[in-house]
Amino acid sequence: MRLKKQMHLLVLFVMLSVWAGASAQVDPEIQLGARGVVSFNTDILAHKTTTAVNDFSDTGLLTGFRQKLYNKFRGQLVIGFQFPDAESDLGQLFFHQTFILLEDQSNIIKLGRSRVRSAMIEFPTLRDDDALEFTDVLNPFSSGENTEDHQYGNVLEYAHIFNQRVWLRIHGEHFTETPQPPATAETDFSLNAIGFSLQYRVPPTQLWNRPLIQQVGIGFNNFLTDRPGYRSRWDRALKNVTTSFVINLKPDPIHFVDFRAQAIYNVGFEEVKQVTDFFTLTRARALATFASFRYLLRKLERPALQVALSAGYKTFPDLQNKTDQFQLVANLFYRLGDNFDAVAQVQFRQFNGDLRALYGESDTRIQFGFVYSIDQSWNNQFDDRESLLNLEHGYIP
Amino acid sequence: MNRRDFLKTTTVLSAAMLMPNYLLSKEVRAANTQRFPTPLEPRMDGDVKEFHLFIDIFQHEVVPGFRFHTLAFNNQIPGPEIRVKQGDKVRVIFKNKTELNHTIHWHGLHVPWRMDGVPYVTQMPVMPGQEFVYEFVAEPYGTHFYHCHWGTLLHMQSGMYGSFIIENDDDPIRKKFPYEREYTLIYSAHDSNFIRNELNAMLERMKERMYLMKTGRFDKKRFAVFNTKEEFVKAVEEGYLPPYVVSRRSRSDLPQPNWFTVNGKSYPMTPNLYIRTGETIRVRLINAGQLEYFLHLHGHDFWLVADDGLPIPQPWQMNTMRLSPGKTADIIIEGKNRGIWTFHDHDTSRVTNNGLYPGGNLLALVYEDLPVEETELNMMAKKMGLTNLPNVALDE
Repeated sequence: MRLKKQMHLLVLFVMLSVWAGASAQVDPEIQLGARGVVSFNTDILAHKTTTAVNDFSDTGLLTGFRQKLYNKFRGQLVIGFQFPDAESDLGQLFFHQTFILLEDQSNIIKLGRSRVRSAMIEFPTLRDDDALEFTDVLNPFSSGENTEDHQYGNVLEYAHIFNQRVWLRIHGEHFTETPQPPATAETDFSLNAIGFSLQYRVPPTQLWNRPLIQQVGIGFNNFLTDRPGYRSRWDRALKNVTTSFVINLKPDPIHFVDFRAQAIYNVGFEEVKQVTDFFTLTRARALATFASFRYLLRKLERPALQVALSAGYKTFPDLQNKTDQFQLVANLFYRLGDNFDAVAQVQFRQFNGDLRALYGESDTRIQFGFVYSIDQSWNNQFDDRESLLNLEHGYIP
Repeated sequence: MNRRDFLKTTTVLSAAMLMPNYLLSKEVRAANTQRFPTPLEPRMDGDVKEFHLFIDIFQHEVVPGFRFHTLAFNNQIPGPEIRVKQGDKVRVIFKNKTELNHTIHWHGLHVPWRMDGVPYVTQMPVMPGQEFVYEFVAEPYGTHFYHCHWGTLLHMQSGMYGSFIIENDDDPIRKKFPYEREYTLIYSAHDSNFIRNELNAMLERMKERMYLMKTGRFDKKRFAVFNTKEEFVKAVEEGYLPPYVVSRRSRSDLPQPNWFTVNGKSYPMTPNLYIRTGETIRVRLINAGQLEYFLHLHGHDFWLVADDGLPIPQPWQMNTMRLSPGKTADIIIEGKNRGIWTFHDHDTSRVTNNGLYPGGNLLALVYEDLPVEETELNMMAKKMGLTNLPNVALDE
């Protein structure tokens, strides 16, 4: 069961079966990842109920191509698309991943459109954006119409890995800027955000013999915003600090329990005293926290059932009106077969203060659906950085 | 010194003087001896010959520039050669230094059945960190080998094999074909991608299983081990999904070897067989892989003198022989045609390195008394900076 919302690299298969390995050193490795998420949704908003027969947002396809280069480096090209939310203005398909990656054992350079570093960790929700206001640093250049604006952007990133587990990332991005008027095309793609993060993380392959701390991290996002009345770059920038941790409460191969939490502190602009739209929402000082308990039952060395309970709280201390929001997410994934899960999820959100004018008082969403995800590769020619062989028995480029 | 010896000596001296790196130089021949299985010296415990073997994960270089993770006895591929006399009492103390299960099967030996090394049939697997002592009397004489019998498809091609030679002072083969020098060649084939993926998957699985074992939670279904066939069938009838239904391995494809080795190396790092004119040499061939080989020697017919270690009463001659998986064969080569002659699989897909010809199990029979003049190259070759035959050619 691949409950991770982020699709892994996937594969085209046409020529693959022919060259399974004979000339593997020279042929590119081809990867295919696919994730289909289809749910029936019932939304209850202010005592009014609406339904969506089919919500297939987040469904997508990723293709990847990897190759050994000279001097111990590897190169990779990833192209992928997904179906955006129905109410978005991104069209039928959104190419969320199109990047080139260059890496050796301890250095990674990434260029192109990809997931921005707006979150330190992932949470066990059905879709990536189910709790976006809590789990991600929000893009202040967006109109708020598309959740993809906060998750994907044009990325320039360098990562260095110390001792296999400590990751230092320095990144610059162009976050999508909603053009004015909105129907026109974006024309400026210059750098509008920079940041860095430092995190300790245990590779997933070493889950069973590293029992407690799985991840601890801190990140800094700095949006190069225009702020009337301020001249210095530092004062004009919108700053966010993110911290996170993941711990294994019970690292048991059959009954696995973990807990994860993340806090995002938006330093904000002190002059923002009211939230009236998405522009002020992203510029008001705020603290968002989100946490999840997850229980995973594994039978026959494969996941069989996952139950997760998540909660988030966000507060805006500088606003004139006491403003905060709260969210609960409970879900269950049950494996029907290899890679195929049935899922049920309930979400409840409540808004207070200025947020009520934007979102209403509360809403509840009930979802039933299926998730099918694959992660396959052909023409394997080298190992992953975090394989047990490479981690514990010497890295082979 | 007779004329023949004089010529031989002067030829070698000339070669050494003219071309220090010449194939026939002492240095090259000394290096070549390292390309055969290393003998494992026993420790005598009374009248018992005691050998120590361990298994660990090891990075093996098949040819310069290509390494992969393997399993290796005593950090060697092939494992060290165990050589004893017929009737010797043998003790092998086997230490498992990996996080995987293993056993050792003594292929072709008549050992007591509880020493045969088949997991869950003759013994429990030797689990991570454990030691197992194999004891038996060396029988019958001849060319045999040993290999891991756990996860055999993966573990053997990962390098878990080695030669086991039982000598007999009244060896009829030596009587019929007196020889002084002998060589051991162990053939195998490796899908380096299969090995990598499977080893990773097994390591992950074993970490999980060892975690459960530590807390005393052995589960027959989870570990896929049952007391009887009936118990297994009943479990399936009750809804149990065996590993071949639920994909519990890394991949479902069977291996497609892309490296073909002799004594763990592919051409041009394969060993050479040295011979002199008029000399007779014995070559012990062992197929420790899962492919069948069709071995052809250029310029000679050789005698097939033993099959599975058993002497053939009426040896016969051939220049191409089949060597099936699990087989051993002993051949006698008579030095009757001076030169440098290739010896290789005539399924030439195995004379490749990672899909590129030439490579694989190509090796050479080299006459030490070959005059250096006969190896000279033409003027064009010299202009190219080449010195003498044979050259190492990796592109065609």
